[in-house]
Amino acid sequence: MAETGRLTGNPAPALSPVTLLRAAIILGVLAIWEFLSHSGWLYRDVVPSLLAIGRALLELLTHGEYYFNLGVTTAEVGFALLVGGVAGVAAGILLGANRFLAKAFEPYLYYLGPTPKIIFFPIMIMYFGVGPESKVALGTLSCFFPVALSVAAGMRQIDRVLIRVGYSFRANTWQMVMKIYLPAMRHPIINGVRLGLGVALIGVLLAETKLSNKGIGFLIIQAYSIFDMPRMYAMLIVLFVLSIGANALVGRLGGLHSIKRT
Amino acid sequence: MAAPSSTNNAILTADHINVRFETAEGPVIAVDDVSFDVKQGEFFSVIGPSGCGKSTLFNVIGGLLSHHQGTIKVGGETISEPHKSIGMVFQEESTFPWRTVTDNVAFPLELIGMEKAQRIERAKHFIGMVGLNGFENRYPGELSGGMRQRVSLARTLASEPKILLMDEPFAALDEQTRLLLGDKVLQIQQQLKQTTLLITHNITEAVQMSDRILVMTYRPGKVKRIVDIDLPRPRTSEIVGSDAFGHYVAQIWSDLREEASRGMRDQEKHVMDEGASS
Amino acid sequence: MTAATARRSRSPLPAATGIGALVAFFATMEVLVQSGMVNRFIVPPPSEIFGSFGRVIVEEHVFGRFLQTLTECLTAGVMLTVFGVAGGVLMHRFKLLQQACETWVAALASAPIVLMYPLFLVIYGRSAWTIIMMGFFAALPPVILKTIEGISGTRKVLINVGRSFNLTPSQQFWKILFPSALPTIFVGIRLGLIFALINIVGVEFLINYGGLGQLINDLAERYDLAGTYAAICFVILVSVLFFMALEKVERWLRPVD
Repeated sequence: MAETGRLTGNPAPALSPVTLLRAAIILGVLAIWEFLSHSGWLYRDVVPSLLAIGRALLELLTHGEYYFNLGVTTAEVGFALLVGGVAGVAAGILLGANRFLAKAFEPYLYYLGPTPKIIFFPIMIMYFGVGPESKVALGTLSCFFPVALSVAAGMRQIDRVLIRVGYSFRANTWQMVMKIYLPAMRHPIINGVRLGLGVALIGVLLAETKLSNKGIGFLIIQAYSIFDMPRMYAMLIVLFVLSIGANALVGRLGGLHSIKRT
Repeated sequence: MAAPSSTNNAILTADHINVRFETAEGPVIAVDDVSFDVKQGEFFSVIGPSGCGKSTLFNVIGGLLSHHQGTIKVGGETISEPHKSIGMVFQEESTFPWRTVTDNVAFPLELIGMEKAQRIERAKHFIGMVGLNGFENRYPGELSGGMRQRVSLARTLASEPKILLMDEPFAALDEQTRLLLGDKVLQIQQQLKQTTLLITHNITEAVQMSDRILVMTYRPGKVKRIVDIDLPRPRTSEIVGSDAFGHYVAQIWSDLREEASRGMRDQEKHVMDEGASS
Repeated sequence: MTAATARRSRSPLPAATGIGALVAFFATMEVLVQSGMVNRFIVPPPSEIFGSFGRVIVEEHVFGRFLQTLTECLTAGVMLTVFGVAGGVLMHRFKLLQQACETWVAALASAPIVLMYPLFLVIYGRSAWTIIMMGFFAALPPVILKTIEGISGTRKVLINVGRSFNLTPSQQFWKILFPSALPTIFVGIRLGLIFALINIVGVEFLINYGGLGQLINDLAERYDLAGTYAAICFVILVSVLFFMALEKVERWLRPVD
């Protein structure tokens, strides 16, 4: 949660010492990289030259094939987030509202949450086949737990006095939900969705690398199998940029800044 | 202006209120047979040591707690849930952190379906009344504790309650802010002729503002005495220095002192018991 | 926090309900599979899964695999502790570095680092080092971030106490900042170990090498359905015990506050 604010932290003025240091670090890393790639100290192709990576990046982004696969993966992650997110919010509300249910079932969620979900992939293939459905299923399973746990905790952490304020102004049930409970839980829900997005993405992509014939995960493992390292680097770079961007976007959409609390 | 003492212009009546809680250590009587009435336009305070059941009484009058015996009547109507004539200001920080000052104050107007332009206008009026002009579009997180409590007050005033019910609204503030805010509340109360019921443990505050003060005993919370405060109005915090003021404070302190020390002994005993049992 | 909430109650009823629901679920599955309403070649009957526990444990050398996964995990854990904490301390020591890089580290924490495993596969081949390095890198950002958070979260008054005793910068760090940050750093290391375990088991499964992760892959490829389910149960059990042990250790190390 602490990194939330920092991700979108205050921009420093141009050419401040921080900006200079950042530029220096980036340039330094690139220079070392380029030096290594020409030195021949490492296995050939493990560190391809920047030019090769750049060319691969350009080729990747100018071919329709990449966008088709990106679309497949995006759709899979989207479905997983939708199904797992809705189920997670529902379960979270149930557990957050009912102390008994929370005591009975939350320990299971709490301890199952961090187990590696990819090990369920063989079962998902049995249930849903080798197509995109099994990837969606794995993503859904991954994303359910953080969303449910985050929403349940968020619901319990609502400041009780805000609920009393609502009742004291004679708000009806609908008004209580729309004007008090949901806005008060916006922070934990958005945080849950962010965590859920992250693990759904990992679940879907890993499943694609294991067994599939389309999607970004498939492209990465394909590049590995023909040792096309520049292409693999190019895809990892795009993937990292996209996922970090998506994560920041969810945070921004949720208006994490406008909620200020001392 | 001395408070009129005939009972038929009472706007709020508490009649033989009893509240008990079941705890792990057996039942606790929080409020024991408390009766009083508050008259139209009167500033009435309930004072008592911590743990005397003041906050329980607050919740019963506000209609947030309904497992009491006895009746609370507002304008002759018995209360079993929050009543539209009563506006509550809570002790805790209770502004909505996700709403701006204006939207916080407009909240009760939004609930009754008032049009947007109109409710913003009304909200502005009450924001001005508590002296927060210029902060309309700020979020509570950007304000100080005293300012946030003024937002809560404006929000409650915006619902135009017949009775303003406040539970130690200044308890979390420092002494200077508390005095200045007290002035603000007095000024608003005198301006609106607002019937006000204040729950507090602060003697100065109670004497400074009230027409009458009900002193409660420590556990079970009974009525120890009801004191008429015959000080001239309009008042401000400057009254604190006067002889008459000191006289009232001393009188109430002598009542409370005994109760408060009983409460303190009780708490010490409790800590000792817990220490022994663990 | 959630576990603590659940533990506060003394009444056995909620826990019994949870276990009861679990047992009821298994019983229902058993009936559904035995009656043929659920295909037994997709879901083996629970009795068969429990029955194959013994077989899987003995024939598949589960204990040896467990030790292998644990060794990988602990190796990654030692590296995480050394490099993660050092990284955090370094970034705190040089404010400019922190201002420049903390955002990057936080961003990396939200990136799917584990997708880099084919890259590590090229560098280290199908070996334990691929798995260890993957676990290490995937878990590094939270350890660094928590270390920074811990050190910069030191209460101002404690720092002033240090200054009032004229401590040297190194004394200030070792006697004030570091001890005060330790609880948060432990939280970071615990998170790091959890992330490492997840990624290590995942990569074992994906590259079909090593300990418990590979076992699942193996059994699935042999279409040993009951065995696969049993192995999955075993991995869940191991990870849950691992988390519980970490929580215990952390609570034991944390001073009373």
